[in-house]
Parts: sequence; C-alpha cells; structure tokens
Amino acid sequence: MTPPLVAFRDVEKTFPNGVRALRGVTFVVRAGTCHAICGENGAGKSTLMKCLFGLETPDSGSILIDGRAVGPDHSPRAAAAAGIGMVHQHFSLVASLTVAENIVLGREPTHGPLIDRAAARAEVRRTATRFQLAVDPDAQVAGLSVAAQQKVEILKALARDVRLLILDEPTAVLTPQETAELFERLRHLRAEGLTIIFISHKLREVRALAEHVTVLREGRVVGDAPIGAISDDAIARLVMGREVRAARREVRHALGPEVLRVAALSMPAAAAADRLVDVSFVLHAGEILGVAGVEGNGQRGLVSVLSGLTRPASGQASLLGRDVWRMDTAALRRAGMGHLPADRFAQGGARTLSVADNAIGGEHRSPALGRWPLLSRWRVERRAATMVSAYDVRCRGPRALLGSLSGGNAQKLIAAREFAAEPKLLIADEPTRGIDIRAAAFIRTQIIALAERGSAVLLISADLDELLSLADRVLVLFGGRIAARLENGPSLTPEALGPYMLGLRTAA
Amino acid sequence: MIRTAVLATLLTLALLLAVVAVVLVPIVLVLPDPRGAVGMFLFGPLADLRHLGNIVEAATPLMFTGLAVALMFRVGMFNLGAEGSFFLGGVFATFAILRLHLPDPIMAPVAILLGAAVGSLGCVVPGVLRARFGASELVSSLMLNYAALFAGLYVVNYMLRDPNAGAMLSYRLPAAAKLPRILPGTRVHLGVLVGLAACALGGVYLFATRWGYEARVVGANPGFARHLGLPITAVAATVQALGGFAAAAGGAIEVQGMYLRFSWQALPGAGWNGLVVAILAGLYGGDFAMDRAPLGGLRAVVTLPAADA
Ligand SMILES: Nc1ncnc2c1ncn2[C@@H]1O[C@H](COP(=O)(O)OP(=O)(O)OP(=O)(O)O)[C@@H](O)[C@H]1O
Ligand SMILES: [Mg+2]
Repeated sequence: MTPPLVAFRDVEKTFPNGVRALRGVTFVVRAGTCHAICGENGAGKSTLMKCLFGLETPDSGSILIDGRAVGPDHSPRAAAAAGIGMVHQHFSLVASLTVAENIVLGREPTHGPLIDRAAARAEVRRTATRFQLAVDPDAQVAGLSVAAQQKVEILKALARDVRLLILDEPTAVLTPQETAELFERLRHLRAEGLTIIFISHKLREVRALAEHVTVLREGRVVGDAPIGAISDDAIARLVMGREVRAARREVRHALGPEVLRVAALSMPAAAAADRLVDVSFVLHAGEILGVAGVEGNGQRGLVSVLSGLTRPASGQASLLGRDVWRMDTAALRRAGMGHLPADRFAQGGARTLSVADNAIGGEHRSPALGRWPLLSRWRVERRAATMVSAYDVRCRGPRALLGSLSGGNAQKLIAAREFAAEPKLLIADEPTRGIDIRAAAFIRTQIIALAERGSAVLLISADLDELLSLADRVLVLFGGRIAARLENGPSLTPEALGPYMLGLRTAA
Repeated sequence: MIRTAVLATLLTLALLLAVVAVVLVPIVLVLPDPRGAVGMFLFGPLADLRHLGNIVEAATPLMFTGLAVALMFRVGMFNLGAEGSFFLGGVFATFAILRLHLPDPIMAPVAILLGAAVGSLGCVVPGVLRARFGASELVSSLMLNYAALFAGLYVVNYMLRDPNAGAMLSYRLPAAAKLPRILPGTRVHLGVLVGLAACALGGVYLFATRWGYEARVVGANPGFARHLGLPITAVAATVQALGGFAAAAGGAIEVQGMYLRFSWQALPGAGWNGLVVAILAGLYGGDFAMDRAPLGGLRAVVTLPAADA
C-alpha cells in the first residue's frame, strides 16, 4: 500500500511562553481526500498546520510527507517544493501591492532584470479563470474587502503547483453563495487529484466537503473517523467535551423607544463595498436589526459611517434623539455607541499590547481603573481577568500579548470589551466569524441579553442562519441600496433572502 | 524560555566582542605600544574614580535624549529632532542665564525649564508637520536639526557672545547657574540624578498613566486607536512635545553642569547617541514589560561606552 500523503506521529509543540499547543498528535491524511480538522478555539489546529507548512518546528515527534520524515530544516519553501500550499487564517498579503504582485510574490516572472508585469497579470487571469475565482489582477490589496482578500489568498496558494492545499478556516469570511462556489471548486479540484486539509468550525461545511474528520482538543487527537461513521452531535461533543445549545431568540417584545434613526444616508461615489445610496431605517431599543447582503454591497460603508470612521456625503442620523450627523467616533462612543469590528486585528485590538491593555480600551479613562491620571495596574489586570473568565478566553493571563492568542480567543476578548461597555447601540459586524461553536453560541446569547436589557443592535452577518436566529427584522443591501425590509419569522429562510441579495427582487 | 534568554545574551556578548576586536585591530597595527593601548582601552575606564566619573558624566545627556527618542518612537513617529532640541535647550538656557537677570536661587532651575520649553520646538515642529500635513517626520526632523543649529548659533553670536573670548563663546556662566557636583573627585553633577528621575517618570508616564496608555495604543495600532475614538493627532503631538522637552532639558543640564561658557559650534551628537541608547535599552521595541522602562535609564549608563566607542 502506498504511504499516506501526510502522517503526523507524536507531534509535540510547546511555545516559549509555556503553552502546550500540541500533545502527541498522531493521524494520517490520505492522498486525494478532503480531510477536515475540527476543534475549539486554541485547540492547536493552526499550530499543527504551521508545523506541516514549515512555519513552526515541532519539539518532538515527526511529520512524514509521502512516507519520508521532513528534516529539521523544514521551511515554507521546502513545503512549497513538496507541493503544499496553505491559506492562512489571518491574511498574509502585502496590502500595498496589487493582487497580481501578491500572487506571484517570491517567484515573479522576469523580463531581464525587471518583473514582467504583463506575464504576471496574464498568469493570474489564467489561474483565476481556471479555478473560477474572479479577481481583478490590478486592484490594490488594501482596497479589497475581506472576502476578496480571502479569494486572493486561495488563488495565491493554487497558483503554485500544489498537491496538498491547506485551508485554515477559509469560509469564515465568505458569504453562503461564495462558500457554495468555493466548495464547488474544491470538489472539482479533489476530483483532479488534489488533497485538501480543511479547518472549519461549521459542521455543515465539514459534512458537505470532507470524507474524513480529525478532532483536536487541547492539543490532543480526541477523534478520528470517516465522516460517514460519525454524527454531527458526536463531532460537536468531541470538540466541546459536552453538548452545546444553539442560541435563538425566542421572546419578542413590543418595540421600545427609538434609538437610531438614519435618513437618506448616501455615499454614492465611494468604492463598491462602501457605497451607500439613500439608506433610511429606524432602530428601536430592544430590537435586533439584521443586515444581510453579499459582501461588498455597502455593509462596510454603513458600518464605517455609523461608527464615525467616515463622513457620509449626505443624509441624517440621530442617536437617542441627538443629532449625530457627522459626529466622530469619540463623540459617538460617548453618546452610547459600541462597535464590534469585523477586522479584529486591524481595528479591534493591538497584537503587540497585552490582553489587559486591549481589554480596557475605551474604558481606560474610567475612575474605576485607578486614581486620575494613574492607571492601577492591579485593577486593570483584574478587569481583564474578569473578561477573560466570563468569555472563557484561553490565554496565559492578562499580561500575555494579544498576538499570542489563537484567532478565536482574541476575538472573544474584543467582544467582551465592547459588550462590557453596555452600549445603547451595538454595531456587531460579523460577531462570530471564525470562532468555535460554543463561543459563537455564547456571543449570540450575549447579544440577545444585551437587547433584552434595552440596547439596540445592528447585526451585520454573512452567516444567514445566525442572522435569522437573532434578528427581529432584516434589511437586505444590494448595490448600496436597501433592496428589502423583511420581518423575521418562520417563513423567512436563507433561500428566501437569496433573490434580494442577488438583486433579482426588491421589497423595500 | 530561559534557554532562549541565555542564548540571546551569549549572542549579544559574542557580537560585542567581535565589534571590539574589529575596532582594536587597526589601532593595534598602527600604535608603537599595542599592549598598553589595548589595556587602556579595555580597562582604563574602570581604572579609578575619575575615569568612572567620566562614564557617568558622558552618560548623563544620553539619558535625556534616550528617553526622548524612546517616548517619541513609542507613538509610532520616527522623529529625530532630539538632536536639534538638545542644542536649542543648551542655547536658550544660556540665554536665560545671561540675559534675563534671574534671581540667584532660582536661576539654575528656571534656565533649565526655559531652555527645555523653547528647545522642545525641535521635536514639536516635525510632529505637527506630520500630523497636519502628512510630511515625513523623519525627513523634516533631520532637516530642521540644521535649522535649529543655525538659529541657535545666531542667538549665540548676536546675543550671548563674549567679544573678549577670542572665539564664538558666550560670556561666562555665573556660579548660581551651575549644577552642583555630587561626587568629589569627579565632575558628576546633579543632572545625573535628574536624568534617572526623568527616565523613571517616563516609565511611569508610558506604563502607568492614561495618557501613556493612549500613546501606546496610537503607536501599537493606529487603526485600533481610531476605533476607540482616541484623538490620534493630539496624542502624537503631545508625546513629541514631551520628548522634545526631555531632550532640550538634557541640553540645558549638560551646559549648566559641565561648561564654563556655552561653546558648541556644531550639533553635539547627543541626539544621535540617544537613538542608539534607546535601541540598546530596548525601549522602543514592541514587546517589553512595564518593569523594564525605568531600567532604560540605568542601561543607558551601562551601554554608553559601547555607544560612544
Ligand atoms: N506564537 C505563539 N506564541 C505563544 N502561544 C501561541 C502562539 N501561537 C499560538 N499559541 C497558543 O497555542 C494554542 C493553540 O493555538 P492555535 O492558533 O493553534 O489554535 P487554533 O486551534 O487554530 O484556534 P482558532 O480556532 O481560534 O484559530 C493557543 O492556546 C494559543 O494561545
Ligand atoms: Mg486557528
């Protein structure tokens, strides 16, 4: 029998800060299959993949590719030479370069001493067509939406000749349509013989794509089975160590007083993701208003205007009866706005500051944190410790750097901070993107609880199941306009939203 | 973890040795008495109290400029105006002493404060140009250092110069303007204690106050600062002013502690060495704990010979 494409044998990894991320991981990935890896935030999934891709070195144990152990000099270059491509959980694109430049980075086609831009562009177009992932090769990465950046990442990995593609939570940033499309492409690639390792917190996706699933918990393999031999409940139990109840909003109250009123908001000249045309709506206390739409249809613009980051070209807005038209972020925050940003590391926090420093942002002027102008270190750390335990953030303590936390855990901390301020208006932008089932259920419960206590919530989410289980009403954005205003109810399904999201119908 | 720390230290030591060797080889080759020269180079500074005092004297101004650079870089600005601020601080302290007729008991401290206030402009101007107009603070601060030099020389030449001194020197500084010596047998003066205190205060400011918190957030991730609604421009400008103040106070203290007359004809280089000190002391690295900040000042003293060699 041919050896498996990849075999992990007793792989151990302890980080310099003492975190034991991997404890004797042993399992195999067979060629030509799609192999899913599940596990809660901080289970060690990304770390294991980084070991395979040569970005981290295991302390002991071995990794075998085609039956041959990789040497101590394993590196991303060696991994690429062995036909391994990886799409990281956090993007590794160079923001100031164009899409084409990013994709050919490190192996640029040359023309004498110069980079042959035309060839690079042509190559990118070819790859993009072949895998049907539409991108503009000349667009600057900095200006792309998160979903588009993810596409570029995938293309970048596919553009090299790969036999094994590692996807670390690729769908966390994609819309359902884009996910379905991606899966279509991945199935096609698998039929051509590509092996795929796929990390996801969404069991539905695992079932849709994978043949085999390995479950990690606290750095150990706790389950490894063909997908047909294991039920979703069994996987969820293995991931969590116990059952989780899905969060769903049951009670719906009469509408409270008006919190946010937006009238004729427009930014017609902005880039597609920011463009808004004549957006008007009212949001009441205790209400959760969902915003649906294919990514890049104005959601980003809506969030950045309401959170005070951009000034709209025209329109009106009032928060709790006060005119907040053109207020900046500081004033909006004072007026009761809270914002959980979609891009956690660009806006939500600072990797090079400690968990404690990240936890007190916005609250750092409060007298509860020490006598003015000092910040009591003890109080700051106790404050952070409260959030860490309430939201079950896995970290070494308040002094750990945010950058040393796993993706999902960093996000939980940021959510904890924004919710702790008890905002009158919470803008929750993709609040559960990339976090595990239990943490997602927990955050949804917190959003519901916030609404029950009288906050108004504007929930932007590409996860339609999430939207429909939380929202009282749903707005659908298409091309920067409100394409539909729908009451949520049993008859509203993801399928029913589809035509509005694609601009085929309107009901505004 | 301990293993990596030991390794890092060993590596640093090896590098230091290599640097010393590279510096020594040409010296040894050209000197008639190489053994004596090398011995003097390596152990001379530690030979007696006077030589040890020399180290501390030379380290004093660098504590101020090192602190200044560390503060300014913390908010993400590569402002090199410490050099100009240091020079202006010295000039305007001299100006206050010679021209303002201050009463003796308050002459020394008021001169330092005045020098520091005027001198801080050397760092404030590039900071404001950056914040308001997006001009690179790196370039503008480098160029403004020379503007500071010639503006300062103008003041010295036309307002402070002693026509009988025979060179471009100011009048003699009166005794009341001088900082007291604190270690008999050396020229170590009160400024070293002020410098240590300033470094400690800088550490407290950055790591234990709300303003310092905002400064660190702005420096660590402006996107996060914007998200929190922090007044980024004001925070950055304030820290540039503080940095400039520290550097210029260093210049004033250097003049009042070490000189009989103001006698600098060119930029004295304390700002550049401050940059080296800040880096050696690890003050502007992204990831160090609060406890180490006050140590930066002490480290500045220890690392000085290497920085100055
Ligand atoms: N560079 C690092 N330094 C220190 N600790 C780290 C580092 N990277 C990861 N860790 C820790 O190792 C553990 C595993 O992290 P990893 O990123 O592999 O988790 P994950 O399973 O990918 O989680 P998520 O679903 O949140 O992405 C976590 O406890 C994390 O805090
Ligand atoms: Mg991960």
